[in-house]
Amino acid sequence: MKLHEKILTHFLSCTSPVDKEGYLYKKKERNATYYRRWFVLKANLLFYQERPADRHLLGVIVLEGCTVQMLDSDGFFPFALQFGSGLKTYRFAAGDAQTQGRWVKALFLASHCYLSNLVRDLGRQYEEAKQQQDPTNSCSSLKSLSPPTNSLLVPALFPLSLVREGRSFSASDALPPPSMPTKMAAKKSPKKWPRRNAHVTPLNGPAPPYGEWPLVGSDPLVEFSKLHDFYGQEVKKAREEWLRSRQTEKEQREKDLIDLG
Amino acid sequence: MRFNEKELVCLSRQPSEMAAELGMRGPKKGDVVKRRLVKLVVNFLFYFRIDEEEPIGALLLEQCRVEREDSQTFSIAFLDEAERKYLFECDSEEQCKEWTDSIIKASYEFMRRNLIFYRTEIHRLTGKDPLEQYGISDETRFQVNSGSQLMARDTSSL
Repeated sequence: MKLHEKILTHFLSCTSPVDKEGYLYKKKERNATYYRRWFVLKANLLFYQERPADRHLLGVIVLEGCTVQMLDSDGFFPFALQFGSGLKTYRFAAGDAQTQGRWVKALFLASHCYLSNLVRDLGRQYEEAKQQQDPTNSCSSLKSLSPPTNSLLVPALFPLSLVREGRSFSASDALPPPSMPTKMAAKKSPKKWPRRNAHVTPLNGPAPPYGEWPLVGSDPLVEFSKLHDFYGQEVKKAREEWLRSRQTEKEQREKDLIDLG
Repeated sequence: MRFNEKELVCLSRQPSEMAAELGMRGPKKGDVVKRRLVKLVVNFLFYFRIDEEEPIGALLLEQCRVEREDSQTFSIAFLDEAERKYLFECDSEEQCKEWTDSIIKASYEFMRRNLIFYRTEIHRLTGKDPLEQYGISDETRFQVNSGSQLMARDTSSL
């Protein structure tokens, strides 16, 4: 099948916003080595090249029909884009937990499907908000889409599928020979997810078997309510853990105060 | 340039509301109209030989201009090359309108603009940012002022 490349490269270089760019390691299928590449994420397309200034693009990945998986490995920050059975799995690695987390999130949000559902949801909220502002105006310009739902179809909080891989990579194994002037981060466990908005389970906790992120897009409305329930539990758990740790912190602080007194 | 061809072909097989046999003509001089199965999936326009499983090609519907050429024909121009157009012949005026509307609305950038509009309006009407509940209000791709965002670049060194 011919992919009209010029259209893609034109899109890449035009003025519409770049959604994310940066260095990542990409695993080559054939020799299982990771190569550092410069990635540019725009809309639902992930372009990659050797260096940011390069004219020549090495490739592009169309981000539809894939799941994003955060992988867990000591001192190494891998993640993967998994297309369906019989299709490819792209493997990447970041230099630190924060970069890893940001890319996983960005890639998850990148699909056309995701945006389409989000727009539909917001469109509904917009109409509702307008109605509330002006209840006398009963006509809605919005074409009736799907049947009205009685519960919030919140496309759940940013989901995180944590898969613990059996093998552990050491920095020297995973990375290509040291022509790259980069240092691997100290072999500590990845830090807690720092973002205040994303309710995700800390990466350094034991990885419960969350299972794979269901393929969004097949039946979006159904998927969202399923996801909402599924991640509602995860959020609850994360919140409880967080509250517990806060309580411990608080107690610790109070103890200190007493000591000082 | 490498691309995930197998996965894209798989995408082309997804059900789509906009799939029809149209007359299609390429942009080059000397190209003639051929009957193709044209299918719109996400922001790609796939075109197949009739009764073939794998598409001949895929056109990304971003940064393109869709125009009505006459009552039953529309064109898509890419690369700012107004003269390099793909032509599509429909069976009716209604079908032609349906296709042009759908193609325009399928563009990611079009959808993003809608999102930003809704986000701004909902915030104006309710005082709340609707993206907060999804945990995505800081994401670059949903920003109201794209381009002037601090987070646009992540040149993290590895």
